[in-house]
Amino acid sequence: MSAAATETTAGSSPAGTSAAARTARRYGSFALRRTGQALVVIALAYVLVFLVLAAIPGDPISAQLDNPQNGYSEEEKAQIRAFHGLDRPVLVQLLVSLGNALRGELGTSMSTSQPVAAMIGEAIPSTLALAVTALALAILLAAVLGLLSRLLPEGPLNSLVRSLPAAFLSTPNFLIGLVLIQVLAVNLGLFSLVEPESARSTLVAALTLAIPVSAQIAQVFITALDESSGQDYAEVALSRGLPPVQVVLRHLLRPSLLPTVTVVGLVLGEVLGGSLITETIFGRAGVGTVVQKAVSSQDVPVLLAAVVLSATVFVMVNLVIDLLYPLLDPRLRVGKESR
Amino acid sequence: MTPRPDAQAAVGPASTAAPSRRRLLQGISAGALGLAALPLAGCALDGARADGGPASPEDDLELSFLISNLDGGWVPSQSAISSYEANVWQQLTDKLVHTDAEGTVSPWIATHWEQNEDATEYVLHLRGGVTFSDGTPLDAAAVLANLEAWAVGRPEEGLARVGLFPGGTYEGAEALDPLTVRVTFTAPTLSFLPTLGYHGCQLMAPSSLALSLEEQADLAHQIGSGPFVLESWEPRQRVRLVRREDYDWAPEVLGATGPARLSAITFTVLPDDTLRASAARAGQTDLAYNVNPQVLDSFTEAGFTIEVPRYLGFVHGYSLRTQVAPFDDVRVRQAVTRGIDRAEILRTVFTDAWEPATSWLQAGVPETTDLTELFAYDPELATQLLDEAGWTERTAEGFRAKDGVELGFTIYPTPYLTGSVPEAELISQHLGRLGIRVRTQKLDIPTYTERVTNDPTQGVQEVTRSFVDVGTVAGVITDEGEDWFQTGSSDAELVRLRDEVAGAASREERAGVVEELSRHVLEQAYFIPLEQNVQRIYVQSPQLSGITFNAVAIPSYHAATKEEA
Amino acid sequence: MSTAVLTPGLRAGAQPRTAAGARPPATVLLSAAVILLVLAWSIAPGLFTGHDPAVGVPDDKFIAPGAQHWLGTDHLGRDLLTRIVHGSASSMTSALIAVAIGVAVGGALGLVGGYLGGWVDAVIGRVVDVLLAIPGFLLAVVVVTALGYDTRNAAIATGVSAVAVFARLMRSEVLRVRTSVFIEAARISGGSSTYVLLRHVLPNALRPVLSLAVLQFGIAILVIAGLAFLGYGDPPPASDWGLLVSDGREHLLHAPWLVLAPGLVIAVVVLSVSRLSRHLDQGRNR
Repeated sequence: MSAAATETTAGSSPAGTSAAARTARRYGSFALRRTGQALVVIALAYVLVFLVLAAIPGDPISAQLDNPQNGYSEEEKAQIRAFHGLDRPVLVQLLVSLGNALRGELGTSMSTSQPVAAMIGEAIPSTLALAVTALALAILLAAVLGLLSRLLPEGPLNSLVRSLPAAFLSTPNFLIGLVLIQVLAVNLGLFSLVEPESARSTLVAALTLAIPVSAQIAQVFITALDESSGQDYAEVALSRGLPPVQVVLRHLLRPSLLPTVTVVGLVLGEVLGGSLITETIFGRAGVGTVVQKAVSSQDVPVLLAAVVLSATVFVMVNLVIDLLYPLLDPRLRVGKESR
Repeated sequence: MTPRPDAQAAVGPASTAAPSRRRLLQGISAGALGLAALPLAGCALDGARADGGPASPEDDLELSFLISNLDGGWVPSQSAISSYEANVWQQLTDKLVHTDAEGTVSPWIATHWEQNEDATEYVLHLRGGVTFSDGTPLDAAAVLANLEAWAVGRPEEGLARVGLFPGGTYEGAEALDPLTVRVTFTAPTLSFLPTLGYHGCQLMAPSSLALSLEEQADLAHQIGSGPFVLESWEPRQRVRLVRREDYDWAPEVLGATGPARLSAITFTVLPDDTLRASAARAGQTDLAYNVNPQVLDSFTEAGFTIEVPRYLGFVHGYSLRTQVAPFDDVRVRQAVTRGIDRAEILRTVFTDAWEPATSWLQAGVPETTDLTELFAYDPELATQLLDEAGWTERTAEGFRAKDGVELGFTIYPTPYLTGSVPEAELISQHLGRLGIRVRTQKLDIPTYTERVTNDPTQGVQEVTRSFVDVGTVAGVITDEGEDWFQTGSSDAELVRLRDEVAGAASREERAGVVEELSRHVLEQAYFIPLEQNVQRIYVQSPQLSGITFNAVAIPSYHAATKEEA
Repeated sequence: MSTAVLTPGLRAGAQPRTAAGARPPATVLLSAAVILLVLAWSIAPGLFTGHDPAVGVPDDKFIAPGAQHWLGTDHLGRDLLTRIVHGSASSMTSALIAVAIGVAVGGALGLVGGYLGGWVDAVIGRVVDVLLAIPGFLLAVVVVTALGYDTRNAAIATGVSAVAVFARLMRSEVLRVRTSVFIEAARISGGSSTYVLLRHVLPNALRPVLSLAVLQFGIAILVIAGLAFLGYGDPPPASDWGLLVSDGREHLLHAPWLVLAPGLVIAVVVLSVSRLSRHLDQGRNR
């Protein structure tokens, strides 16, 4: 995805001083192509997950039907299987399921008989609150680390800051979560374990998730800052005797933000995947918990919907970032200003 | 399907017994005593209140209760006997009688009763002035509606009868006057009275009983006569009860009268055992349900009260299916039961509050006798049995084998019992020393039901079940029932004992047969007892007091009180 | 945990680079020592502990870390260090399997796509996009659900979730190498495409792939530990590191070492692996 963005920016930069109209047209066709690609990826993700899950031997319905205590006749079993469409070949099931999904029909859970959309819909607010908070915290943390890495004089403290991301990334988030619960809730009583959805509890859960995620953003941010500090304009600014804080904020920050924004889109996958463990540890009733229950009861429709939802969120956010990218690019901005 | 561990409480075929004059007298005198004591107790309480004593109901005391789940729904016939929802139902409803942990029956809404010579007819005398929380009277008509629901139900509408209730012999009931009910049975039914005190037989308002299945699922539609009434609830998340100010009919034996001391109780669902324990330790709840037994000692040290009430029923153990290899050989079964070091399990997995099994029935069951010597730990004997059975080859990993087949099986620790996983791990070690490979695989409740309960090829069934009356055992041991051991009717001794238990003429006679039956089951090692079952663990903050437990280990919070910390 | 964001070329800019041929920095040596130690644990656990990993002394349960038991004992009186040491083989092997799958499958996809280009590249590109779009940990959970819960399947699942990053890196490396002069020369001099691919393209693309493989090895340890923590690995008495943390979690209140020790071991090992990977990467960029 970022590859596509890079191609485009590379292509559009020489357009610098030429007509804005041509840039806009080019951007339009890029946007269209990129959106089409995203939709294809989502559809393919659906197919892929469907096929993987089709490999699961057994399902809750067959398990119930085959229970000798229920004493169903073969005919009855066949009828019920047919009702759920389990008698058809996998490819037909796939097409039917895909067709239904396109119409927004996600089916019903095999284990609770609730509509899948409702089950996941109920869980979304919790996960959304967690993910958004975590992402915000991660960005904040990464920004602090990045700026410190430039502003602190070379020495042990700077080295420490620079090695923190690797340490954050290497620590399992379940360890972070368990320690935070023990220290902040049990020892210090700072948040309530009884109300996992409360603001404070969400903040702590988000912190658990944010620490490894911030590390990835910070790594990219620090590298980008380092690279732009090597650029001529930065050296010039420094040689003019500007204080480092000003140099960083005025000259280094903006060019470094571009790769950083891309990475924020990419780490979204981390946030969504990591919420599975974080929700379990903190007892939150989010999508991750729904996924876990669906996994243990082999509830394919729920699992399929949840995974495709995550993929869709991921693809869409990255699409938006890719579409914004050329607009943020300073080299494109020059073109606009010259009008 | 909703998991309901303790929904496993069941009743056997009608137990028959000769008339017992002593019981009749007991019933009447207990009732009379109760009546006489009431006003006295009432005065005492009034006095206490006048003195501004600690029991003043004006105190704004609230109880918070963390529970593992409330997924069972609120249809009484489905969840009244659930290990989870029963904690709520007990506060919302009353029962005709109170049955304590030793199986002793005492008056509650029924103040006294009579039974005829052959235990086929009972007359219950109700307390006057009792009302449901919607103001309708709890009178003979209401009791008739409840009896009908317990004994018959409306299965065609999905409203099952109460499995605990002796519906098989139930003939009918009639109101002799507004406060007197006569219940008749087609055959002697000794289990009737104790059953009235069990969790399935809670009194609901007739208007609630008349609702459809869907309507009953709404807890707000469930009107009881208990010391607390519903304030609000969220499905699967939370239930909040508040005190009923005009409540004045608590069971006499529990020693408190008038309205409850606590002003409100909030049940909150927190599915994770560890989080409940942590929340209790952090002082974020007054009560936490079912935490890992191995952490309890640290709670005791920190000043918490730990309640581990034991119900009447089977001990915690494994019933073995004799059609499944390697349990088709009695010597292997005996070796397994002899190879388990139960003392070590108690020391390691549980605390001092747990007690060793003395039979396959809980020691609280009046008919239980100490048969420990039939299954006591004896590794030498176990080794000898396995050698005799021909499991003398050894695999590369050192496990026993016969004809190239490794001796082993899989235990799926029951998700209904906290502590079952480390227990299975220890058993795996004990039996591993004898050369038996025991794999353990932890499953969650739905998967457990599918892979273990419903799978006839799974040799080990973990038993955690309460029962009403020892007659229940006749209903599980052969194919005229649940056929726990997969012996069908092939074990003539088992069939004979089943018939004798079911057809016993008196409790004394039946007790003798039960002992003989227990001996046979343990000698054949059909059932491997582990320890006396504690299915409910309550971690209580040091501020709480006045909590009582009934025969099925369900707490009552009517008399509970809480010091301000 | 499955980092889509790999930062080849990442280096600590403020630190003066060691001159080529000089001794590697102390942290790299330390990291290498950690990895060697854990590898030794995996190969010959018996050399490091005298206790039994599966059977303990139940009466010695929950002993705090001390002289007798360096890392304390667990809920069944088993020595925790012994369990960690014995669990390392499973944790290392499964991470290795995962990386092998990622390198083999992802590498092949990237190689073929990058070299052949055209519609093959387009198809492979979309598949890779799909794999990248599904959050890695979630993908691993789905795959392990389909395969069944045990550690080997968790390893395969983790490998599948790593395919995409290897494919992408391999493709870009192939594209880079392909256009270089000596490949053109090899082609002109009449080598078959397979020959050119294997003889010239692959060896030149290998180093960055190796550096990524080392980094992914660390990530795989984390992902597999996460799966084990959720109960998708081998059941007890296995002692995979994630399972140890999961088991210890119930005892966090009164025996915190049961969580901290295996958790920190995971962190230190992964940190060492990532330090080594970064060092390899620096070598490339030098």
